[in-house]
Amino acid sequence: MGGLEGTPHLLEIRDLHVSYGRIRALQGVSLTVPPAGIVALIGANGAGKSTLLRAISGVVRARQGSVSFLGEELVGLPVHQIARRRLIHVPEGRGMLARMTVLENLRLGGLAARDRRDAAADLKRAFALFPALHTRRSQLAGSLSGGEQQMLAIGRAMMARPRLLMLDEPSLGLAPLLVREIFRIIPQLAGEGTAVLLVEQNARMALQCAAHAYVLQTGRVVLSGPAADLLAAPEVQRAYLGAG
Amino acid sequence: MPDGAFFAFLVVDGALAGAIYALVALAFVVVYKASRMINFAVGEWTMVGSRTAAAAGQVLGTGLAGALVTACVAMIGLALLFNRVVLRPLSQRSLLSLIMVTIGVGIFMRGAATVVFAGLPVRIVSPFPADPLVVGGLPVAVDKIAAAAIAAATIAALSWFFHGSRTGLALRAVASDQQVAMAVGIDLHRHFALTWGLVGVLSVLAGTLWSVASGGGFGIELLGLKVFPIVILGGLDSLPGTIIAAFVVGILESLVTGYLDPLVGGGFSHVASYVVLIATLLVRPYGFLGRPDVERV
Repeated sequence: MGGLEGTPHLLEIRDLHVSYGRIRALQGVSLTVPPAGIVALIGANGAGKSTLLRAISGVVRARQGSVSFLGEELVGLPVHQIARRRLIHVPEGRGMLARMTVLENLRLGGLAARDRRDAAADLKRAFALFPALHTRRSQLAGSLSGGEQQMLAIGRAMMARPRLLMLDEPSLGLAPLLVREIFRIIPQLAGEGTAVLLVEQNARMALQCAAHAYVLQTGRVVLSGPAADLLAAPEVQRAYLGAG
Repeated sequence: MPDGAFFAFLVVDGALAGAIYALVALAFVVVYKASRMINFAVGEWTMVGSRTAAAAGQVLGTGLAGALVTACVAMIGLALLFNRVVLRPLSQRSLLSLIMVTIGVGIFMRGAATVVFAGLPVRIVSPFPADPLVVGGLPVAVDKIAAAAIAAATIAALSWFFHGSRTGLALRAVASDQQVAMAVGIDLHRHFALTWGLVGVLSVLAGTLWSVASGGGFGIELLGLKVFPIVILGGLDSLPGTIIAAFVVGILESLVTGYLDPLVGGGFSHVASYVVLIATLLVRPYGFLGRPDVERV
């Protein structure tokens, strides 16, 4: 992995605390993401999964702890600076610019990648990944279906050539067929060398495609390990996979 | 002058004024689009822009071009200073306090202008011939045509900038959703500064053109009052809507001045656009091309 200079982790989070007023959303989360592959983050509603992603991308300020990306501290950096380090967050609800066209949304994604000469190649790659976006490139993003919007959100993130792609609930509200489509694409991106931090309520599919996983519960990591082991663990099966 | 020719004269004259209104209105709309801020001082900015150009021409002894460049540099500086010193510290406050600040700044600019520009000329001498051009039997003032042409060229350049350049794309993203803009790596403060730089340039251009076309800069701060019906009619955040509305208001004023003012003893042309504004809002609450905030979820 070029450019890592011996750093074993792409992202290393240590003892992260985040509060919303008096509500303590994260209470000392530590986690690492390697430079390649998929790390899944599962947990119930309100466990703090989205808050963790927001703290990493700078949308919410951490009260304590550190987020180190390629050895650089991110806590305290403004959101746009973090995005320019090509750590790209696709939030739940997708963050589309509804009144701009599909093509304009994709171009915007490319603003974070400094080298503008490659923008055309990146665009081609995004359309190859999601052919439906090519057909709808002149349409307003707000007029797309939920599945197409999710594809646009991922396509826009890929335009930045992310070193780390953070996806928050990409399958939320999608029809089963589209969920399978999304879960076909995510490993493909990872296979092409993009590290992925995946937050999902759909724990089974997340664990099936991830190499490593963390279970978050009321703002703390309660379990972590190889995804296959968690998939087999009785407490995970009981709480998150709906097994008796 | 026969009836038909008089009507045509009024329409052409109004359209020429409309082109300049459009410039001032665009200075308003770029700020509104970027930050949802209503700049009540847009007339004062235009006034200071024109007086700076007039003063620069006199003091430096350069021609009109040199005066314009100098005034643009000065006004960009002033606008950036205003953005950095006044607006940025208030950026976490409510929109209402920002709006009140623009009213205060407008009053300050009027007062300061009388002191700073004391003894300096108000007029910008027109570089164009005084004899009107006769087009199809209609007399049209050359400086008005030139002013309208420059305004149109500026508007075209601005539309290209917003829709054809990377920076324009980023500015439109800031305008539609600041959170998303930041998430794709856009520095909001840099783009607010850019917006105000544009306001500086537009105030010099619009102020100078108005001063040249109206034969003196008198009452120029009242341009602000003409701009509000225009931007609201246009839909506040639509560039094409604003341009259409500027022409509608310009032509309307001209027609009212020609036909109604002699009957009611004058002055109705200043109110006419507000009457149309109220009537239009009853039918189209978001103006000609404004869009309500509706989206698919």
